[in-house]
Amino acid sequence: MDEMQEIMEDFLVEAFEMIEQLDQDLVELESNPDDLDLLNKIFRVAHTIKGSGSFLNLDILTRLTHHMEDVLNKARKGELKITSDIMDVILESVDMMKALLENIRDTGNDITDDIDIEPVVVKLDAISNGKSLSEVSVNSEKVEEKEVEIASEVQDNELTEEDYANMSPEEIEAEIERLLQQRQEEDKKRREAKKKQQSQNTEKKELSKEETIQPIKKDEKKSVPAKKISTVEQTIRVDVNRLDNLMNLIGELVLSKNRLIKIYNDVEERYEGEHFLDELNQVVSSISIVTTDLQIAVMKTRMLQIGKVFNKFPRVIRDLSRELGKKVRLIIKGEETELDKSIIEEIGDPLMHMIRNSVDHGIESPEERLKLGKSEEGIVELKAYNEGNQIVIEITDDGKGMDPEILKAKALEKGVISEKEADMMSDKEAFMLIFKAGFSTAAKVTNVSGRGVGMDVVKTNVEKLNGLIEVDSTPGKGSVFKIKIPLTLAIIQALLVAAQEELFAVPLANVIETVRITVEDISAVEGKSVLKLRDEVLPLVNMSDIFKIDKILGISQYLYVVVLGVGASKVGLIVDGLIGQEEIVIKSLGEYLKGIKGIAGATIRGDGKVTLIVDVAALMQLAKETHANSLINTTIETKKKKEKPEDYVVLIVDDSNTDRKIMRKSIELLGFTIKEATNGEEALSIIKNDNDIDAALVDIEMPKMDGYTLAQEIRKYNRFKNLPLIAVTSRTTKSDRVRGVEVGMNEYITKPYTPEYLANVLKRNLKLS
Amino acid sequence: MSNQLQNVIKQQQEQTNLTTSEQKEDNIIQLVGFIVGNEEFAVPILSIQEIIKPIEWTKVPFTEDFVLGVFNLRGNVLPLIDLRKKFGASQAEFDDDVRFIVIKIGDELAGFVIDRLTEALRIDSSSILPPPDTSMDREAIIEGIARKGDRIITILKMTSLLKTKNG
Repeated sequence: MDEMQEIMEDFLVEAFEMIEQLDQDLVELESNPDDLDLLNKIFRVAHTIKGSGSFLNLDILTRLTHHMEDVLNKARKGELKITSDIMDVILESVDMMKALLENIRDTGNDITDDIDIEPVVVKLDAISNGKSLSEVSVNSEKVEEKEVEIASEVQDNELTEEDYANMSPEEIEAEIERLLQQRQEEDKKRREAKKKQQSQNTEKKELSKEETIQPIKKDEKKSVPAKKISTVEQTIRVDVNRLDNLMNLIGELVLSKNRLIKIYNDVEERYEGEHFLDELNQVVSSISIVTTDLQIAVMKTRMLQIGKVFNKFPRVIRDLSRELGKKVRLIIKGEETELDKSIIEEIGDPLMHMIRNSVDHGIESPEERLKLGKSEEGIVELKAYNEGNQIVIEITDDGKGMDPEILKAKALEKGVISEKEADMMSDKEAFMLIFKAGFSTAAKVTNVSGRGVGMDVVKTNVEKLNGLIEVDSTPGKGSVFKIKIPLTLAIIQALLVAAQEELFAVPLANVIETVRITVEDISAVEGKSVLKLRDEVLPLVNMSDIFKIDKILGISQYLYVVVLGVGASKVGLIVDGLIGQEEIVIKSLGEYLKGIKGIAGATIRGDGKVTLIVDVAALMQLAKETHANSLINTTIETKKKKEKPEDYVVLIVDDSNTDRKIMRKSIELLGFTIKEATNGEEALSIIKNDNDIDAALVDIEMPKMDGYTLAQEIRKYNRFKNLPLIAVTSRTTKSDRVRGVEVGMNEYITKPYTPEYLANVLKRNLKLS
Repeated sequence: MSNQLQNVIKQQQEQTNLTTSEQKEDNIIQLVGFIVGNEEFAVPILSIQEIIKPIEWTKVPFTEDFVLGVFNLRGNVLPLIDLRKKFGASQAEFDDDVRFIVIKIGDELAGFVIDRLTEALRIDSSSILPPPDTSMDREAIIEGIARKGDRIITILKMTSLLKTKNG
């Protein structure tokens, strides 16, 4: 019994694999009805399923596939031309075959009330008998005859089907030819046998069995020598759980490897120059290399070709285009691209949805296309390729494309975005609107899209795989959807960053670049800090603010910004340190701590400490919320705390010692702290480096750098934009004053002045009453 | 293995020798007692995976204050919950007696910070009283109250210890 169960399972796995291929081949067949290779391939699938099915006593399935085989055989021999109508029937029977197989998988047999194969069988019969589909009638006698026929064929199928996989196309064709001849002989015999008594039936079966065995033996000797033995052993079906287990173990190994490297580095520091270090180094490196190779090797065992997913789409497109009355051609490229099994399983649904979307919303009706001067047939291209550590799946259509303005208007109307957001939005961001919940641009809800499962679900599913979606579109020309997903889920490359003293791992796939900036590089837009990076303006958020980490480190002169990107949006993340790049193994935080915003999991580092892994998509969402309370606000707050003259530092800049003394005397008594500089250069360096100057009294005529230039230089820095600069000079002409305002002086005082006047102007500029 | 744990086991063995003859095994439950703040608590001995001295942990943002973070127990990342903070006990220093008790709750492992261990307890289940009516909030996490001499021991309900968010 167990053995039977095993055979049954193998049969099902094989059958489902074949059916996947079958769908694609059938659609292709419709466009190339004369392709003999294709026909042979399809015929073989029906034939194999029929054979195994009958061996397993799956009568209904056997009967159905047998009738399919008849039709396909006729087409193969050129006696029948495959038309759309015939193809509909064949596809219907393939669907039914799938349903039966699913039923077998679930219940163990093919007896079910839900599936009635009779109507399809009758139609298939009609086709193979050359009748038109309308004059279909049940011919029970014929059915019976066929069933007898099936029984006798069990043995030959069982014996031969194994060979097919290892044969070259020529060999296969020869094999099929041979089988057919055999069958015809059998048919002849059967017709004769039928005339005899029923009791003789068993004898006849044995007869045919003997007959079939012999030619096969001959065949083996001739065309498949030795090769067969070696190839049979080349693949093993392995339980996925075993692979998963292996993958987990590799994960542990990678962690231990990291730890070993860490320890080696420590030891190297301590025992520098010692002889044993060389040997240790060799061992550590070789373990590290082997581990990496092992990891890749195990990863590869879990890899499947994406063609497995792509295969079902030609059928989808065919059905869709017929349903919608559109002409669509699907071009598939890169189906040999490999992806982790778990990703392959998850990517099917989102892709299906996006393809439906492209056909339904993207491609126009044939009339419309002709009017626009395009070819009647729309093209949807499905392409997969490797890009670094990622796989890119591209869905391109040459349909009507999307207009960012219309998208924005729709989004506004539905309240998905605010007017302000709409204004700020780039075209790429506008395209991403279609992934927002509650957004659908389809004017009418068709059977195809608009069934409540929107593109937002697509995006969520892709993000679950650590992937991202990019959209580009030109109105009238078409759209391109790019899905980027990592090769594997368990082990990733990450950038380790520090927020205050805590470390976080940021998946490298989402890191666009890292830059070191100074505080002056930060500018403000509507009170929020932004960074101008080349021709882009990035919102800046401090990581410590996002995760509400207490700030124990002072603000240093240099800031590290990690530029993160998800889809079209980018954010600059201010961190307190960049530690480096490392390969990390993702571990879950467990049931209790799951679902923490912005955290995707944790990893254990070489030193045994746990480091949290950032969920970049969620982090960027948090960043947008945190952005309001930005760095600039906090600096302004600290400045506001100053209330008395004693809290302020005033810089006096003058080359004349006397003038400096006069100025000092005028304001010293009020309590200001005073610093002095004798020329513009010195003043600038004091302002920049001391960073505590609250106002400056500046002479114009000075050596090295005059007052005007000094003011200009100071105003170049963002943080000194509002620093009060008061010119104190003997230049009294109007043009001098105008120049002073131009370069950014707040006040212009001419010598001589009274001490009270100077003090008052200073106090006014520092907003002291 | 720490001396403390060895002591606990030794005591337990002594207790086993003393009591087996007197009482029916069925009614006896074995617990490990520990102090949090000023109170003595206990959890079933079989739910305890191990007891370790404090090790380094990593803070996790957006969690309640009694969730200290996560720590690494031989390659597993486990949450660390400070029972002293959870029960509102004032002392939050880590002295030499502080231990992490790693408990298996359902399929999940978690570490709990306690002030110090007391001993392994053998208590007749019939002598365990239901939680008092007054303990309102804590009622949900209390399985029952046991008396041993003049000591009052609160037995914690394992399943509630890891109730997410509001637990």
